[in-house]
Amino acid sequence: MSLYQWLLFFHVTGAFFLIGGIVIAGILNIAAIAKDRRPSQVATLYRLIRLGVPLIGLGLLLTLALGLWLVHEVGYGYGEAWIVIAIVLWVLAGALGSIDGKYQRQTGELAERLAAQGDPSSPELLARLRDPRALAISYGSGLMAFAVLGLMIWKPGA
Amino acid sequence: MLALVRPDSWNLPLFLHVLGATLTFGATATVALLGFAGLRGDPERAVWLRRLGFRIGLFVLVPAFILMRAGAQWIADKEFPGNAKTPGWLDVGFIVTEPGAVLVLAMLILAWFGSRRAGSRVAAAVPWLAAVYLVALGIAWFAMSAKPGS
Repeated sequence: MSLYQWLLFFHVTGAFFLIGGIVIAGILNIAAIAKDRRPSQVATLYRLIRLGVPLIGLGLLLTLALGLWLVHEVGYGYGEAWIVIAIVLWVLAGALGSIDGKYQRQTGELAERLAAQGDPSSPELLARLRDPRALAISYGSGLMAFAVLGLMIWKPGA
Repeated sequence: MLALVRPDSWNLPLFLHVLGATLTFGATATVALLGFAGLRGDPERAVWLRRLGFRIGLFVLVPAFILMRAGAQWIADKEFPGNAKTPGWLDVGFIVTEPGAVLVLAMLILAWFGSRRAGSRVAAAVPWLAAVYLVALGIAWFAMSAKPGS
């Protein structure tokens, strides 16, 4: 197999890890907020979400590093619009994901504390889970990753 | 270097196929995580996690799988119309998705039984079947992206 084939495989692997991790986090987050769950249930779901986070990190790393190498290998220009837009979206998705990660970690810690204190229902936990701004950041970050996937296929202007 | 010469009309089916494949990967991994977590802890928690795994399998994994498979058929029909001979890398994809559909179905049936009572023995098979399917998906995305032999 050629270098191009290996690079493409690991780049696509990065995309699967990234989007797969986002899907894991997204599904379990929806499961946590869709019903009035007990703090112990929220804590369990957030512990499982944490298992998907390394997948997202590895995916971010592989998609960018191998993507830039592919640009060089194939002979695209680093200044081409679809590549610049993809990198900007990648950076924004990573930055929003980082903000969201901190927020969700605090929410998970609150759920763990409440679970340890007898599992009482908590308006504070519910408010954190359903905070519109946090949800917008969380889902905005995920949607940007899907937008990059679209850009990689259509390559507008290439 | 197919990506460099791909006709524009192939983009939408390819996007839907890849989108479906990535969603299938994420949903299968979620079913596996919930399934493994549902093998431990108190019975009430175990049943809740298994039930959640079954619902995610039914309402996320199955639609994602259909999107992946329909997108695959759509682009295969465009790329290899009629009786054109299909390359090995494409055949690998069909080998993974067709028996894969049976595996997903078996996983869902076992997940349904497993979510009905805490002591269910079949529940243990669900996360392992999901893990096997994740490996199969990995083989398929290797064949689809690297296209070895082409």
